[in-house]
Amino acid sequence: MNNYQCFVRLNKHSTISCTVVHVKNTRGKPVTREEILSKKPLHVLEKIRENLERLNEKMEVMIELQRHGQKDVQPLNDAPLDVMTLLSMPDHLRKTAMTICRCGRATAEEVAQQTNRARAVESAYLNQLVIMGYLKKERQGRKAYFYADRDS
Amino acid sequence: MSKIVAVHSYKGGTGKTLISVNLAASFAKHGKKVCLFDLDFRAPSLFAILKIENTEFWLNDYLSGKCDINKVLIDLSNRIQGNGKFFAALANPSTKAIREMSAKDRKWEMRALGRLLSLRNTLLNDQEFDFLVFDTSPGLQYSSINAIVTADFVVVATTADRSDVDGTRRMLRELYNLFEKKTGLVINKVLDPISKSKNAEMDTRVRNVYQVPMLGLVPCFCEVLRAEGNFIFAQDKPNHPFTKIMDEMAKQIEANEVN
Repeated sequence: MNNYQCFVRLNKHSTISCTVVHVKNTRGKPVTREEILSKKPLHVLEKIRENLERLNEKMEVMIELQRHGQKDVQPLNDAPLDVMTLLSMPDHLRKTAMTICRCGRATAEEVAQQTNRARAVESAYLNQLVIMGYLKKERQGRKAYFYADRDS
Repeated sequence: MSKIVAVHSYKGGTGKTLISVNLAASFAKHGKKVCLFDLDFRAPSLFAILKIENTEFWLNDYLSGKCDINKVLIDLSNRIQGNGKFFAALANPSTKAIREMSAKDRKWEMRALGRLLSLRNTLLNDQEFDFLVFDTSPGLQYSSINAIVTADFVVVATTADRSDVDGTRRMLRELYNLFEKKTGLVINKVLDPISKSKNAEMDTRVRNVYQVPMLGLVPCFCEVLRAEGNFIFAQDKPNHPFTKIMDEMAKQIEANEVN
């Protein structure tokens, strides 16, 4: 009973705001009002928020893909983030990738502080770099950390 | 303040090593804790200039993850006058090592970049070095671009040679600008020494041609050529005009006055 899935409906413009329709537990059964109230309501809300944040990130990637075109984002498997790759990247991604190179490991918020761009924008660029295979992403609680995997 | 300084050029023979060594020596002479890195793995030269016979670990070993950076650093502070500290990290000059370094793949270069970037923490933050000076290989090579990406400030050495001017302009536009690097131009081997008023005129011309500030103008000194690499001018010839130019450059970089 520890894990819950949150199902949401996007509004008609596919923007990031969304409405929680209902919550199911991992066995696929809807969570009853009594269950939410009697068991772990805070935990359920936390899961809802986490799922919304993940959805948010995916939406940001989609928006960025539309803005810059698909050609910039070719998925690769564990592509090395070396200097020649950095040189060939589009400017907006290079800035983000360079920041991760310098920091080693950082959240979108931390990258945004360095680049003076919005957190949501950095989150989108970081996720693009993950899709392209240049960065790895790791979740620790509510925070998502991005890093270049130099050990594999 | 620019803590990591890379000395780079488009072509070879522009005086990168001479500038790197003397810049580092000038920092040390003024009481700074400095480390000079030989990142020219295709043509290592610092071991000869600093007259170091042998060492157990090389910079090659550090970048390959075989040892800690402290195993590579050689303390040469006893060769420097004053309270400064002068260290060097050398590239392995053996033919085998040069061949091996030329054959490294992209994954290795990516890890090497990570290890260069980590010097900011290990040397600048933890061991309180004031400056790291990178002597790089010319042109667009992995080791030199890794050094540029790591650096806070790039000293671009060039000459009046037409091919050098053209290549340097392209490199400024297509390399340093892309990495948003702060740069200063040093024009070396200038044949006609010019007056101070002409210096300002030259500065304007350099800004027009290269779109970057001029850090220094180095006349072609016969004494430097005659020294055949046997002296570190900034240390051994404190009153020589070349030393004065190097000291002024070091002062400008330290004061962050290059703009």
